[in-house]
Amino acid sequence: MTQPVWLSERVQWIGAFDPGMRSFDIILKTPNGTTYNAYAVRGSEGVAVIDTVKAECAEQFFAHLEAVARYDEIKVIILNHLEPDHTGALPELMRRAPQAKLYISQSAQLMLKALLNRKDLDFTAVITGDTVSLGDRTLRFLHTPYLHWPDTQCTYLEEEFILFSGDVFGCHFCDKRLYNDKVGDFRFAFEYYYTHIMRPFREHVINALALIEPLTINIIAPTHGPILRDQPTRYIERYRELSAQRLQNEINAEEKTLIVFYISAYGSTTQMAEMIREGAEQVPGVRVSLYDMEGGDTDLFVDLVEDADGILVGSPTINGDAVKPAWDLLSSFAKINVRGKLAGAFGSYGWSGEAVRMLEDRLRGLKMRLPLEGVRIKLIPSLEELEQCRQYGLEAAEHLMGVNAPRVLEMADLLAARKQTTEELSVVTI
Amino acid sequence: MAKAKVTFSDVNVTVNVPVGTRIIELSEAVGSYIAYNCREGDCGVCLFEVIKGQENLSELSKEEKAVLLARFHEIMEGWRATNNLEALQAKMQRENFIGKHCRLACQTQVFGDVIVAPI
Repeated sequence: MTQPVWLSERVQWIGAFDPGMRSFDIILKTPNGTTYNAYAVRGSEGVAVIDTVKAECAEQFFAHLEAVARYDEIKVIILNHLEPDHTGALPELMRRAPQAKLYISQSAQLMLKALLNRKDLDFTAVITGDTVSLGDRTLRFLHTPYLHWPDTQCTYLEEEFILFSGDVFGCHFCDKRLYNDKVGDFRFAFEYYYTHIMRPFREHVINALALIEPLTINIIAPTHGPILRDQPTRYIERYRELSAQRLQNEINAEEKTLIVFYISAYGSTTQMAEMIREGAEQVPGVRVSLYDMEGGDTDLFVDLVEDADGILVGSPTINGDAVKPAWDLLSSFAKINVRGKLAGAFGSYGWSGEAVRMLEDRLRGLKMRLPLEGVRIKLIPSLEELEQCRQYGLEAAEHLMGVNAPRVLEMADLLAARKQTTEELSVVTI
Repeated sequence: MAKAKVTFSDVNVTVNVPVGTRIIELSEAVGSYIAYNCREGDCGVCLFEVIKGQENLSELSKEEKAVLLARFHEIMEGWRATNNLEALQAKMQRENFIGKHCRLACQTQVFGDVIVAPI
């Protein structure tokens, strides 16, 4: 059995090692496992336990805890994040230390109820600036929501300048030497964790850094991976870099970017994409880029999408569906935040033409903004149809810039137009 | 039949509609960014903002009011809440915040000219 690790005279790591874990939350690869870091802080008036571990690892956690404190000394349990890998041992801990008071973030309240399914739950919901005293040790809370769940927070030990950061600054890396200046090379794991866990919440990372950067920090104690005691601020700086936009985009504040992705079997969707660009470029302030999905890879495209203001996706319909590169691109959008960006779809088709509506549904599902119905063109675009594409690009760009002319419609016409598209689709599908 | 004008300010489109039309019947067709989930007044996702003409919209049903209160509680995350949720709710209702500026698009019917926008 492993021993607790002493961060200071009053602070111990009481977590668990899980070297056999190979994939985490389904989406992450963990080639050398992970750790679930929990901590105990001793003050003159009691002990605080900060986070717990996954249920399957509870035995290690309780053995470590018992080596540093008695259950009746535990006054405070702080939950920085309610995901089951940090709360699995919580019900048992509450049973063994029934006097301990729970401290959770404002946004964790309903989640805690759903997690424990207990009616008689007693807890204190805290926000930035709130503190809990252990006598000669004080724990202060930082509200850092969406890193990477709505409930997440950090806890700062004022007297020792230790930041218990939850999943922030964490990574899946299992090394029993535990300190960043002792373990193997975990830089890859640190970056990989940021990319897959924190990146979709970039704005929230920036807000959290504003709270964290002014603190004096001797140690960052995250809930996964190495404890960062050697030059901890370097990891904060790295988060600052990672959350900044990558290449400085050479556009002015008044300009907006529109990216047109397309893929084409016989060149019709390509022609459409080119006309859409032509239309969009007529609107001052819009910078358009055109990308053929056949010639690129979604990991690179997703970087472009993250910084873009608007995205249009063109795909032909093959066997009643959009093509795989288009779906791969859309599925990669889950790695970033695309909410509220302008979006649209277009494409040529042979006989049924479902792709455009399907892509639109998915884009809507990603909570993007679709002000225009996409253009669908049967087989080779005629001159009139190309003009329709140009108009579509123009209108999309106008929506992007917020300069679209007011329109007045009759409800009957509006609904008739919608109905026609739906019927056309259902007829040809038969 | 009596008519009303519904303007969706985010897409700059005005639709002439028969009175009694619900916002949900229009917003997607004009491309406005009001999002839907359950479409039956249960989930609170289709919250939208009434910029002008709140007096021309249908009365709040008991269900819509309940969803709005719940939804607002969520939205006010970050507020120094709420040992006293009821007092806060009462205050919000008293100041006519709920139901005046914010409604559910799947429930609200139009009886006169309004200007609306996604939130």
